[in-house]
Amino acid sequence: MGERIVFGVAAVSAVASAILVITLRSPFRATVALIGTLLSVAVLFVLMAAPFVAAIQVIVYAGAIVVLFLFVIAYLGERTVIEVADRLARYQAFAWLAVIALAIQGVVVLATTKLPGVRDDPRAVDDIGGPEAIGRAFIDRYIVPFEATSLVLLVAAVGAVLLAKRGVRGEGGR
Amino acid sequence: MTETVTGVPLVLYLAVSGALFLLGLLGVMIRRNPLLMLLAVELLLNSANVALIGFSRYWNVTDGHIFALVVMVVAAAEVVIGLGLVVAVYKQRLELDVDQLSSLRG
Repeated sequence: MGERIVFGVAAVSAVASAILVITLRSPFRATVALIGTLLSVAVLFVLMAAPFVAAIQVIVYAGAIVVLFLFVIAYLGERTVIEVADRLARYQAFAWLAVIALAIQGVVVLATTKLPGVRDDPRAVDDIGGPEAIGRAFIDRYIVPFEATSLVLLVAAVGAVLLAKRGVRGEGGR
Repeated sequence: MTETVTGVPLVLYLAVSGALFLLGLLGVMIRRNPLLMLLAVELLLNSANVALIGFSRYWNVTDGHIFALVVMVVAAAEVVIGLGLVVAVYKQRLELDVDQLSSLRG
């Protein structure tokens, strides 16, 4: 029963923070609301026997990525708040239409799924989420994706440096 | 049968994941500030992670955790590039509005 209560609190807090993220106009406040979603999702990860991913979620997401956002928002200052009047308001109706249609599809799928045991209590699991299991899986079966992600990080770092260099030249040259 | 009261079934996790995904999708479509769009993309990636971890527990395998960690790395890379673009746009003295940054639209 306690697990269900924790799940309910975390789920409600995740969705409520997500609503704040997309409705608040100030990027700073939206980023702080995103922290709420990320921490609630980390609680969900703990409930799903994924302590390692939950720890990484808190350290990398709620730590590094959110700090990066806040740093850029502080660097850009007041102008980031500006969001001009809704010139494209009529297109927002299509966005709502698409989202509502997708929501109906999702509800129908979840209500009619024939996946066995999807509504029962999850069965007892082995240690699938501990650091040892994840480390072994990375080294044994997923060594190529592991190296590919390191390549992705390298390319992203090089791209960020190139973007920054071009920005400096554009500022000084014009 | 008494154990069924204690745990949370997969379908509820999928419902939370779907709700987060829909909110993120809505955020990407209705916001025009690129910073807020990046925040909404983070919501999308997190909803995918919830579904991955949920199915990983359902099938009792580690694979979903691996994918979730890879998704986090990709999210970090995407944020670095996205914020770099935002700063570059800002340095060109342009408006931070994706509807006005339309020179690539053709």
